[in-house]
Amino acid sequence: MKILVPLKRVADPDNANKVKVPADGSKVETTGLEWKPNPFDEYAVEAALRLTENGAQNKVRAGEVVVVTLGPKECETTLRAMLATGADRAIRIEADDDQLDGNVVALALKAIVDKEKPDFVLMGKQAVDGDTNQVGQFLAEYLGWPMATAAATIVEEAGALHVGREVDGGVINLKVKAPGLVTVDLRITAPTSVYSSQTKRDFKYNDGVRFAPLPAIMKAKKKPLDVLKLGDLVADTSLRVIYKKFEPPQGRKAGVKVKDVAELVDKLKNEAKVI
Amino acid sequence: MATAPQNLYKADLRDVMFVLFEQFKLGELLGKEPYEAWGSEEVRMVINECYRFCCEVLGPVNALGDTQGCTIENGQAKVPPCFKTAHAQLYEAGWKAVGVSPHFDGQGAPKAVYMAVEEFITGANTSLSMYPGLAHGAAELIETFGTEEQKARYCHKIFHGTWGGTMCLTEPEAGSDVGAARSKAFKNPDGTYRIEGTKLFISSGDSDMVENVIHLVLARIDGAAAGTKGLSLFIVPKLRIKEDGSCGEPNDVVLAGLEHKMGIKGSTTALLNFGENGQCIGELVGGVEHEGMKQMFMMMNGARIFVGIQGLANASSAYLNALTFCRDRKQGSSIDNFKDPNAPRVPIIQHPDVRRMLLDMKSRVEGIRALAIKLSMHQDLARVASDEKAKDHHQGQVDLLTPIVKAYGTDEAYRVCVTAMQAMGGAGYISDYGVEQYCRDSRIFTIYEGTNHIQAMDLVGRKLSQRKGANFQELVGDIAKFVAKHKEHPRLGAPVQLLAKAQETIAATAMLLFKWSQSGKLKYVDLHANRFLEMMGATTVAWLLLEAALIAEEALQNVQNDHPDRFFYEGKIQAARFFAHNNLPLVPALGAMMQTDDDSAMAIPEEAFSTI
Repeated sequence: MKILVPLKRVADPDNANKVKVPADGSKVETTGLEWKPNPFDEYAVEAALRLTENGAQNKVRAGEVVVVTLGPKECETTLRAMLATGADRAIRIEADDDQLDGNVVALALKAIVDKEKPDFVLMGKQAVDGDTNQVGQFLAEYLGWPMATAAATIVEEAGALHVGREVDGGVINLKVKAPGLVTVDLRITAPTSVYSSQTKRDFKYNDGVRFAPLPAIMKAKKKPLDVLKLGDLVADTSLRVIYKKFEPPQGRKAGVKVKDVAELVDKLKNEAKVI
Repeated sequence: MATAPQNLYKADLRDVMFVLFEQFKLGELLGKEPYEAWGSEEVRMVINECYRFCCEVLGPVNALGDTQGCTIENGQAKVPPCFKTAHAQLYEAGWKAVGVSPHFDGQGAPKAVYMAVEEFITGANTSLSMYPGLAHGAAELIETFGTEEQKARYCHKIFHGTWGGTMCLTEPEAGSDVGAARSKAFKNPDGTYRIEGTKLFISSGDSDMVENVIHLVLARIDGAAAGTKGLSLFIVPKLRIKEDGSCGEPNDVVLAGLEHKMGIKGSTTALLNFGENGQCIGELVGGVEHEGMKQMFMMMNGARIFVGIQGLANASSAYLNALTFCRDRKQGSSIDNFKDPNAPRVPIIQHPDVRRMLLDMKSRVEGIRALAIKLSMHQDLARVASDEKAKDHHQGQVDLLTPIVKAYGTDEAYRVCVTAMQAMGGAGYISDYGVEQYCRDSRIFTIYEGTNHIQAMDLVGRKLSQRKGANFQELVGDIAKFVAKHKEHPRLGAPVQLLAKAQETIAATAMLLFKWSQSGKLKYVDLHANRFLEMMGATTVAWLLLEAALIAEEALQNVQNDHPDRFFYEGKIQAARFFAHNNLPLVPALGAMMQTDDDSAMAIPEEAFSTI
């Protein structure tokens, strides 16, 4: 099985206070930010690795995972980290952050999918910086592929993915035939969330995203990393989303003390209008 | 009690990277023999990934292991149950193979990188790290001195965590005085030896995380000379090794007890009886007799550096935890508004005395880190040096700095842990914030692996005169050159001039120590050895911090105003200024104390210490 995982690097969410907007509000200041892979994309890599191995103490690979990102040269750090974690190949599409919106990214990824012909695309349900939750849906539409979003479990059977999506009140089970696209949610990295057809059903993974073992880190440099140009992949790179202005959210207002339950109910009803 | 499995360990990766690449130019060693597999990107990924591993796997079971402790069941030591998975994962991820030679499936990293990684492993969980730490040292010793057969039998399995390892020196009557060891070895007709004796305070002396424990035991072959010269070193497995390399029957090594102690409670400290039934078999390391002490010194030197790193690691995390607390905790108003009871409450980091404590900790931690990495860079440079002169120089600096890293590093580390507790007040004293455990765990560092006085005696008695004093003169010469170059520096000239006085003092005091040795006044050498080590430690650390500050100042020219590195570099400069102004003036003062003929400690009759 061959799986393509698109990745985005985002400003380290643990240091969100370092993200600054200059006075003119023209953009988000990115110099000096620490970058991390978008956590949901990391989960997608973990799920892709689990689907392409035989889940056992000494894991045997049974497939290929290709990671792809769009961005400047520094993004290769993120790709190398994923190669160290276990991905087989990487592709970087040279682009500046301000050349991209969800639509352009989806078009570029479509071109990569056309070239690479993976069985499945696995990706995070959204990136934690813009939180737009669009690229997976755009891409499936452009490809004309079946899609399941926000997967919490994936079980492979006979080349198709059985996807469990947690929704209010229960789980929706979908079957996605190849070629198809799945976006993943947080719980996909739980110990029993993903099974390839070769993984015994009593096998339990460690919780969370796997660590890059030292020997793999040392070999990551030797794994292939191709660089492509955005213009060679996408004919129309015009942006559909234009950012006009950024401003930080307003500080929270101080709370008020209510004197009794009656006043609280009144405020909830008439001021907050939540009951 | 802090038993919830949460991680409290913190390290400053930015400072680690600064010391490696910006201060000590590790990049110049990378990408070529024998480190051709290592580029700066590999180093960065290893530092980041190892740190993440330590925070997510080793750190969460640090406090838990402390409460669970170690027990004995049916003659077998049981480590804290929560350690087992973490220990297995540590080896699975390969973090103990960073510095292992490729011949044994390791990654052959530069020592400087290995040290940085060890800081995280031991800082995240000191007790747990003792087991792989000792094992690694034992395997290195066998790799260096063992026969080909011994290397093949033991090294791979110990390096990769299947078997543990120990160093067995101490006996009930032979602590700091190793030469008093009574353990005996009797030659068997097949060339092996029958071992008999009792060893005490053996770290990692038994563990149920490994299949076998390989003890390295100092013992005297029947009829050999008294003292350290008559000691030989033996490989004594807990379970005998069969022809096919697997573990067989017990080797008459009996776990007679585990010590109850102040800290590192998750680490077994074992009392071991060898050959109670005359059935304990050992093999001579390398097949050579009476070389035990020399062989063991290799492991001891490695362990001494490792203990310095243990101190650094605990101190660093104690400092960073205290810093988080002091930024958050609001108490009192600004000192400028002290008369106004309605002034707003401020985080305690705004109080001058708290800032003093924080900067004191920061400068000591970063100073010890620079010192330890400096030492390991000398190890790497000695390895790659093409000519004998350069090799001797770098090896000489390793020899000279080892007791300083061990003793100065751990003395200061403990002070940092205690200062962290003080800055946090009552919160530091209760278990919830982790600093209380750092204080207890780090107390042993000044004691084991040769007490810090043993280190001081090693420094003044052995290291100062090594290579006819060249090691010492080269270090002092390097500092003098630095002083000459920077004493007029506009921002850092004043601290550099303090360094000049300290450097002159240690040079003069070394002469005094030499004079005492020559004129038979050895008691003064012993009385003042610790003091001299402290003076050398402070001077060397100040030098390295000022060197870092100058690098930081230059780097600042190219950093944009709102870049986080701006604060990092500014911090390096202030830490160096603080350390110099608050420590260097003590060096001439301590030197002056050595010039007096104060012999009160010797003159006082033993009965006069107290009449009760």
